[in-house]
Amino acid sequence: MTATPRFLPRAELDRLFAVLTADGRRVLGPTIVDGAIVHDELASTAELPVGWTADTAPGSYRLRETGRERAFDYNVGVTSWKRFTHPPIVPLTRGRREGGKVVVESVEETPPRVAFVGVRACELAALRIQDRAMRAGPLGDADHVARGDAALVVAVECATAAGTCFCTSMGTGPEVTDGADIVLSELDEGFVIRSTSEAGGALVDRLQLRSAEPIESARAVAQVTAVRDAIGDPVPTEGLSAKLRAALDHPRWAEVAQRCLACANCTLVCPTCFCTSVSVASDLDGVEGTTARNWDSCFSAGFGRVAGDANFRPKVKDRYRQWLTHKFSTWWDQFGSTGCVGCGRCIAWCPVGIDVREELMAIAPLDAPEGPIPWPLSPDEGRAPAALATVAPAVHVTATVRATGFETADTATLHLTTSDRALLGARPGQFVMVELPGFAVPPISISRIRPDGLDLTIRSVGPATAALTSLTGGAELSLRGPLGRSWPVEAGYGRDVVIVAGGIGLAPLRPLIDAILADRPKFGAVRLYLGARTPRDRLFVAEMNALAGRADLEIDEIVDRAGPEWLGRVGIVTQLFDHAPWDGSRATAFMCGPERMMQATATTLNRLGVARKDLWLTLERNMACGVGTCGHCQLGPFFVCRDGPVFSQAELGTAFGREGL
Amino acid sequence: MTTTLCALLTQTWFAADMPPDICQRMADIGELKDYPAGATVLQEGIPCRALGVVLSGRIALRLAIPGVGDRTIITVDDGDLFGWSALLPDAGATSTGVTLVPTRALLFEREQLAAALAADPVLAAAIYPRVLVAVARRLAATRLQLLDVYRAGQEPW
Repeated sequence: MTATPRFLPRAELDRLFAVLTADGRRVLGPTIVDGAIVHDELASTAELPVGWTADTAPGSYRLRETGRERAFDYNVGVTSWKRFTHPPIVPLTRGRREGGKVVVESVEETPPRVAFVGVRACELAALRIQDRAMRAGPLGDADHVARGDAALVVAVECATAAGTCFCTSMGTGPEVTDGADIVLSELDEGFVIRSTSEAGGALVDRLQLRSAEPIESARAVAQVTAVRDAIGDPVPTEGLSAKLRAALDHPRWAEVAQRCLACANCTLVCPTCFCTSVSVASDLDGVEGTTARNWDSCFSAGFGRVAGDANFRPKVKDRYRQWLTHKFSTWWDQFGSTGCVGCGRCIAWCPVGIDVREELMAIAPLDAPEGPIPWPLSPDEGRAPAALATVAPAVHVTATVRATGFETADTATLHLTTSDRALLGARPGQFVMVELPGFAVPPISISRIRPDGLDLTIRSVGPATAALTSLTGGAELSLRGPLGRSWPVEAGYGRDVVIVAGGIGLAPLRPLIDAILADRPKFGAVRLYLGARTPRDRLFVAEMNALAGRADLEIDEIVDRAGPEWLGRVGIVTQLFDHAPWDGSRATAFMCGPERMMQATATTLNRLGVARKDLWLTLERNMACGVGTCGHCQLGPFFVCRDGPVFSQAELGTAFGREGL
Repeated sequence: MTTTLCALLTQTWFAADMPPDICQRMADIGELKDYPAGATVLQEGIPCRALGVVLSGRIALRLAIPGVGDRTIITVDDGDLFGWSALLPDAGATSTGVTLVPTRALLFEREQLAAALAADPVLAAAIYPRVLVAVARRLAATRLQLLDVYRAGQEPW
């Protein structure tokens, strides 16, 4: 490393570019395109925005000539560096389906060696923050990791403050502290240059520069200090996370939603937003299909949409709250840092000029109360440990359909065979991502774990699930998993067990029932309550009838509606046990079904004495990636696919059953 | 006999914590009735002859839909009430009740019950909240049934 700052004359900036190029790197930096400063590949320093700056304000961005020769006299470009570390489109899989045979392979690209030139302190923080999110969990996102590792960062300290900057409040700038390989401070006559990594030091050494004069270093420091003073502290952040948690019902959410267009501009220009969706393409005959990961946004209307037309954030108010509370509150819970770096892009590029600084101070002002934490954040507070995923996202396993059995008119169970050790080691409650080339990739709960394979019980309600339920013996499909946190079977040892299933919710509970019956002496009384829409919609009827004959298990069922031929019970599932004589305080309960049904069930079980920590449920959300990197299934501080789908009622806190969260 | 009826009544959730004297007074005006499977115990639109408590068995409460046929809206089992409109003046049953299995019930004749409740505020204060709980439970169930939460719809995949 070059401990001593050096000086690079302005006329020799080309030499830095030449050194970077000679190091085998594409040089990416700021340039002017269509009236805005963007980051793009640069052939030479001539493409830098020399003599230009950008004036920004809420809903406004205008280039202005400075009359100076500086190359970095602006603050941040329109697009952030995530365009290169987390590209808008990343190919995921390439598959082929022919004659029932299926092959799905991950697309693995080797990213080019690049040098990012002109990275600001706030953007360095953004790279770190997004990196932490994408590397989170036991596996991380391989593409993001590879792209980040292939980049060398040449940072530039800010010499001006834009009207939308608030890095000072977020603790991310304007001084460059760490995360860069080389740091430039631009003066009129050249650059004070210092290296902060071994790679950066080696490159700077090749330039063979003189040491910076003390006065040059002092002017560089004074310059960035002036920027700090100019920005001030527009968003005091002390207690902000807790204040936002306490303000989930603030009337301002509805007010700002009246102005917000939900256009997603803010999330697209945000340097830390990482939400994506998976797109599917197919050739015309349906033989070959590809999937890709595309930038998406929690502002998209369908981002929280799941099966059955349910949408967990249907209103703009919900989506704005999700974005703001994630950035400034639950991001801390998930990744131990803020999700905002104060770059101000979301302010400038909001077409209606919504200023996040103003919204924060309206919703969580200095004197706002810091409300109780609505969900436990540590094991000490009642949060169960996160799932330990063991399968890399790139691993796709081909399984074969041994047989298909229809449970109801629209629901079938695929009996799959596989020799994959990870799949055969699945735990009750886990799920798999199921892919047929050319179709969307749904998450499907495992409905039975056998020594030679798995059962998947699938309701046909869309093209992919229709294709899956039409598969017959010998056909193949691709699986990724097992994923997610499983039912804590051991939590029922020595205790009574209550299992409540609603509709297709019986499918993920079935392996739990299998596990309990396989180890029956370890449990007390076992009671199973089943609800379904109609008698024709009941699952695993013969199997449940057989269970009813066992002396060591109580089973009762009810349907929502029925014709006169049905002699069983009609009503809601809680009627099966709401006046039960058993002592709930001795019971561990497991339930799965539509969320509204589970809310009613939880209320009844709690009244019977079942403790919130002893009540386990599995949540449905739009689990698009399965490993906690796409953002679709976020619920408060959780990604349901990674932190769940199995949760205790206690750890969900007030997030359980809350509309719009 | 009424002592036996009282014992039967207190075995139901409806009367599980009922004070003994209240239970006894209800038993005094109660009538034990056994129905075979398929018996009609209520007829939609016709005033209920009695308020009933199911001691054992199952009754389907049904509505007839022209062109569709009978639909069971809810079933009542051990401890559940049926014929609660017997407590309302001039009200007919809101559904038709048919036993699905042999069913034993304790019946409280409409006019006799109304007279007892009118004459004794303590008895009324014990019975009406219990009836309200039973009706509220049915109302809560109906709300969830109206949501049709198990219905399958279109999904992204």
